[in-house]
Amino acid sequence: MSKRIADALFEAAYLSLITLFIAFSVIPVLVALVLSFDARGFMGPFPPTQFSLRWYERFLADDYYHAGLATSLIVATVATLIATLAGTLAAIALSRATFRGRAALQAALLSPLVVPNVVLGFGMLVFAARLGIVDGMTRLIMGHVLITFPYVMRTTAASLVGIRASYYEAALSLGAQPWKALVQVTLPLARTGILAGATFGFVTSFDDVGVSLFLTDAFTYTLPVAILAQMRANLDLTIAALSVIFVVATVLLIVLLDRLAGLDAIVGRGVYGR
Amino acid sequence: MLWPALVIMAPLLLGPLLALLHESLKPYVGGRIGGDDAGALTLANYAEIAAPEYVRYFLDTFRVGLISSGLALVLGFPMAHFIVRRASPPVRRLLIGGLVGTLFLSLIVRVYAISMTFGPLGPLSGFSRLLGIASNSPDGAELMVVLGLMNTTLPLVALTLIGTLQNINPRLEEAAMSLGAPRWKTFFLVTVMMCLPGILSAGITAYAFCISNLVVPMLVGRGFILFVSNLIYARFSEVANFPGGAALSIAMMVISVGLFYGLLHLVRSTWQEAGK
Amino acid sequence: MSITRRAFNRAALAGAGLAAAGPFAGGLIRPASAAERLLVVQWGAQWIEVSKQIAADFNKTNDTQIAWELHSGGSAAVIAKIKAVWPNTQYNVLSVWDPVFRTLIKEDWLVPIDESIVTNLATIPDQFIQKNDKGQKMTVPLSTAGAFWGYRDDLLPGGFDSIEDLLRPEFKGKLCVPYPINLTGLFIVSCAIQRGGDEKNAEPGWDFVKELASKGQIGEICTSNSEYINAMATGQYSVGFWNNGGWFATAKNFPVKLKNRMPDNKGFLYNEGFCVLKGCPEKAAFEFANFFAEPKMNELYNMNLGSGPTQPSAKTNPMLVDWYYKPDELAKYAYFADFAYLSSVMNEWNARWEREIVPLVRRG
Repeated sequence: MSKRIADALFEAAYLSLITLFIAFSVIPVLVALVLSFDARGFMGPFPPTQFSLRWYERFLADDYYHAGLATSLIVATVATLIATLAGTLAAIALSRATFRGRAALQAALLSPLVVPNVVLGFGMLVFAARLGIVDGMTRLIMGHVLITFPYVMRTTAASLVGIRASYYEAALSLGAQPWKALVQVTLPLARTGILAGATFGFVTSFDDVGVSLFLTDAFTYTLPVAILAQMRANLDLTIAALSVIFVVATVLLIVLLDRLAGLDAIVGRGVYGR
Repeated sequence: MLWPALVIMAPLLLGPLLALLHESLKPYVGGRIGGDDAGALTLANYAEIAAPEYVRYFLDTFRVGLISSGLALVLGFPMAHFIVRRASPPVRRLLIGGLVGTLFLSLIVRVYAISMTFGPLGPLSGFSRLLGIASNSPDGAELMVVLGLMNTTLPLVALTLIGTLQNINPRLEEAAMSLGAPRWKTFFLVTVMMCLPGILSAGITAYAFCISNLVVPMLVGRGFILFVSNLIYARFSEVANFPGGAALSIAMMVISVGLFYGLLHLVRSTWQEAGK
Repeated sequence: MSITRRAFNRAALAGAGLAAAGPFAGGLIRPASAAERLLVVQWGAQWIEVSKQIAADFNKTNDTQIAWELHSGGSAAVIAKIKAVWPNTQYNVLSVWDPVFRTLIKEDWLVPIDESIVTNLATIPDQFIQKNDKGQKMTVPLSTAGAFWGYRDDLLPGGFDSIEDLLRPEFKGKLCVPYPINLTGLFIVSCAIQRGGDEKNAEPGWDFVKELASKGQIGEICTSNSEYINAMATGQYSVGFWNNGGWFATAKNFPVKLKNRMPDNKGFLYNEGFCVLKGCPEKAAFEFANFFAEPKMNELYNMNLGSGPTQPSAKTNPMLVDWYYKPDELAKYAYFADFAYLSSVMNEWNARWEREIVPLVRRG
């Protein structure tokens, strides 16, 4: 009897936490959606009283945002590619390594996670200047590799937790080449983690303000920096319109991937997938 | 397999670090831009932030970060568990799609949306009263910062935990329950315990994100809640006291990397399988 | 996308060919002035909108290409970037204000204004122009701007008489003020003036701020124009201290009254405008600045920004009639702060705010 009550209580708590999760995640998206149609040029009481498409029009009409968007996409893509390649290999290598100082090395590689982006950005600006690098794109990619790498490595490492080294060793003992065992056994199992890590990395880079603020130059600036510049002078809800565009684009992309390959094929099912 | 990371990351990590370290030792004269290159190196910039008042900024940062990432874990784990263990394929797809979708909501928009919703004029302003906090008080500002940070880390935590849970054998839970263990006991003693390394690593990532954030306290802290990042930003970007900002940066780096390393070490020594 | 300095010059030269084929196809090209390209740093929103409009006019008679960049942080953020690569900066013309002018002059980064090209400088009152140690004119002031106390008349009908009133209980949580480094500490200076001090004797000001802070009167501390505009739009705060830009935007949506003629306090006036960095195509930069300083353009520029024109013959936006002072009021109500001094203590004041004021407001 008490077990039934305890189970029921647990179930209620479990489901209410999930409901809260969904509520907290969905509300900002809905509010952003409404704000993106807000006709007012100031942050008045919610909900808005007049609606317009001015923020969407502004984004579509202004080259300033387009150039920022292009730079952001290039920087995020290049930085994520570099970070994913190096980060995945490092996570796998570190998960097996036994040498002294392994933990210290891991902590060092993950350290950009805990260091404020402003610090990384300013440090990179000074460092790049001493190397004679004044080119914005190079500086930005350097800074963004630094901030995306730990996400990939951390997430990949987390997904490797359940994958026992014995699977890899079994493959080896069955005569597989080490690289083949890696590509055919470890990587597919860690796929969720790698993909999630790359996604986090991309988003981190795409949404970054702290690092980019210092590394952009006159002709190479990222979208969030462009928007922040507009926003500091006066309220600009273009960013709400943009977010809505991105959320919609992402959801469409996910639906498309799901239709083409099946979401499970991309996200993976893990070792014990049903 | 380690060398690509080392070749790429070593200069990117050490270069800025050394540049900052050097900058932090330069003397600063009020009204100038950056440190005096010609002056003798000094520890004065560190002495300036050694004042006890600055301890509170570090404590505020770490405390608010802990609350936010803790909440994100408490909400994120059941969600990840639900997606991996219970959701039907269409629901699972919907939820994962939604999670990835919300990742792309810009942080700036998120924070505005939260303050519009839960702020004093928002439709859900009653939420803070529920917690006994007046939304226009300094505690109300802290609540906004917590909600902003938690909201940003939620999808990140949930997606990381999905990865962890997928690699935990569901038979263990089934076995525990078939032996008569109540649900809650199975959940906490089997599922949560098995996932602890993953939970802690997701928690640490979320925590790291929170304590290094600049934008959230800047936008909704109303000048009451200042993270160490905000103090650093003011020095780099507003008063051009680069040496002071660099000294504060080094202090923050040492403390938070130490904290991070300590936590990781704790995780690893307690749960040997972590990172293996 | 990425343009090194050399490639940048090459692009500028290539651009020259294009531009020459455009408006000057008639053959009126002066061979000596092959088109230059200028990179101008400006604030976003209304500033960039009106500037682009004027630059389009400028390009009808001048083939200099104008590229814009926006200030992304405080004005000092662009300074950090310049410092990192000096003297190889890409920037040519900066739109900033008096305290930043002082810093730039101190760093010796600016070129003295050539009055034979910037002929419109002659009619701009001399006290608006910042000079270097040798007395050379270093800036082209385009706007007279100010920082004032004010209130929302709909929330606080009748307002207040003196900022001493703001210590009363009914103003708890009602004040919106700048972070001390915004507006270069003018908020502290205003509080100091209230208690008989000034920027060099700021101690009374700090005491007043501490009183405000410990009583919980301060509801929000803002660090940018948009934050201030948003804060005042929420209706939670009825009183504030900010620049004319923030008040102007607020006044478009709500009834606003400025308290710029209080018997025991003053309003601050300063100038915004252009300066020219060393190592840039100087002639083009001066021609560009001169075009903006021309009375008609000066009028258009300021009409949209809520600031006063620097050309005496230019008209002021009728919304701002009471915002600035008539010549005979200047001595009584206006205060011209010593920005060279203020920028030298800004770091100290910032640290002091962090150590002494934030703990008080946090407790509020």
